[in-house]
Amino acid sequence: MTVNTPFDFAIETAGLTKRFGDKAAVDDLTLQIPPGCVFGFIGPNGAGKSTTIKMLMGVLRRTSGQARLLGFDVANRAEKVKQRIGYVPELHFIYRWMRVSDVVGFCGSLYETWNDKLCKELLALFELDERKKVKHLSKGMVAKLALLIAVAHEPELLILDEPTSGLDPLIREEFLDGVLRTICERQKTVMFSSHTLSDVQRLADRVGIIHEGRLLVDCAADELLTGTKRIRIVLRDGCSPSEPPDGTIWQRFQHREWQLTVRGYSPASVEFLQNKYPVESVEVTDLGLEDVFKDYIKGQRALV
Amino acid sequence: MGIDPNSPVPIYQQIGDYIRSAVAAGVYRPGEMIPSLRAMALDLTVNPNTVQRAYEELEREGLIEARKGLGMFVTRNGTTSAQTKSEQAVYSAFGQGIRAGHAANMPAMHIRATFGKAWKDVNTERSGK
Repeated sequence: MTVNTPFDFAIETAGLTKRFGDKAAVDDLTLQIPPGCVFGFIGPNGAGKSTTIKMLMGVLRRTSGQARLLGFDVANRAEKVKQRIGYVPELHFIYRWMRVSDVVGFCGSLYETWNDKLCKELLALFELDERKKVKHLSKGMVAKLALLIAVAHEPELLILDEPTSGLDPLIREEFLDGVLRTICERQKTVMFSSHTLSDVQRLADRVGIIHEGRLLVDCAADELLTGTKRIRIVLRDGCSPSEPPDGTIWQRFQHREWQLTVRGYSPASVEFLQNKYPVESVEVTDLGLEDVFKDYIKGQRALV
Repeated sequence: MGIDPNSPVPIYQQIGDYIRSAVAAGVYRPGEMIPSLRAMALDLTVNPNTVQRAYEELEREGLIEARKGLGMFVTRNGTTSAQTKSEQAVYSAFGQGIRAGHAANMPAMHIRATFGKAWKDVNTERSGK
């Protein structure tokens, strides 16, 4: 009866690494996601998002490092812990020959805490026809069914791997609505990977950016936006930039114009530039999540 | 109301701005209840924690207050407080315009003249309605 071991973090990894041959798909990843947090996990294709999630779910074995979900090591998770986690994989494994009602009945029998009322509500909200066979469902319908069977047992922790990719905007909104309904009811921890940055903006209160297996950023979503700014300065003739201010994640110099994206921006960043270079004019602008994300990745690629 | 998830303005601020302008405009009057966290989160498709953060800020400003077990209500001075905040927003929008002028190396006189022109055009547009 030691199921409820106390834990400070719903998801916790330390030095988590996965190698495929020489290549590290996930490299020394350390994450601490507190209970109640909605964590948006973003990165370009092949950055290691799915590999990380698969290791957390025990689908893929780690090469080294630690990983715990709800305080339990993912390598030897007991049945009881699995009952408290919901998972929507990148590819949905749902028997195609089953009817929706069979899928729901089958999954319901696996979980002690399966909530029939919630299940019925979600079937109605998602407009899922119980008599239909899975193989006759559209992509969006399958995605919604996958979410339904991941949340109807009211898990404490929900892990979603690119849940909204390839869905049309209306189905996406329904899907997010379904996720929100489960978050609203009880304090739940959610981790989801996505390429749809507007969805991340809507749902996540914490954002992680991963690139080539390494975690570049892990911070509060609001702080990432308010603390990152683009500086555009125009330099006088005959002068070229050398040293950027602290926190510069990306820069470009083109025809007198020096653009810099600075993380942890403060007026001191501009003063630094003004003291160091003959500056014609300065402009500072805010950035949306998409620009912040792109500048991080482009900045990393320029380093290579 | 709509949220722009691509905007550089954090979502909690967008929600705060919306409630402030709704109170200033009289959509919600002093003593009236504003939507619950859950209703607002589902309506806007945003994380309830984000709505909560917006509400906490509005509470600190004295625009809304919590009544135990009931929800959030507009305070007695809510409308005035919202109008003051709206004035600040207008002030910062003007500031942004002035800074954009400086960034483009416009002489001060030109910036002033441009403000005058915008002032005239907007007022003509409004009176034309």
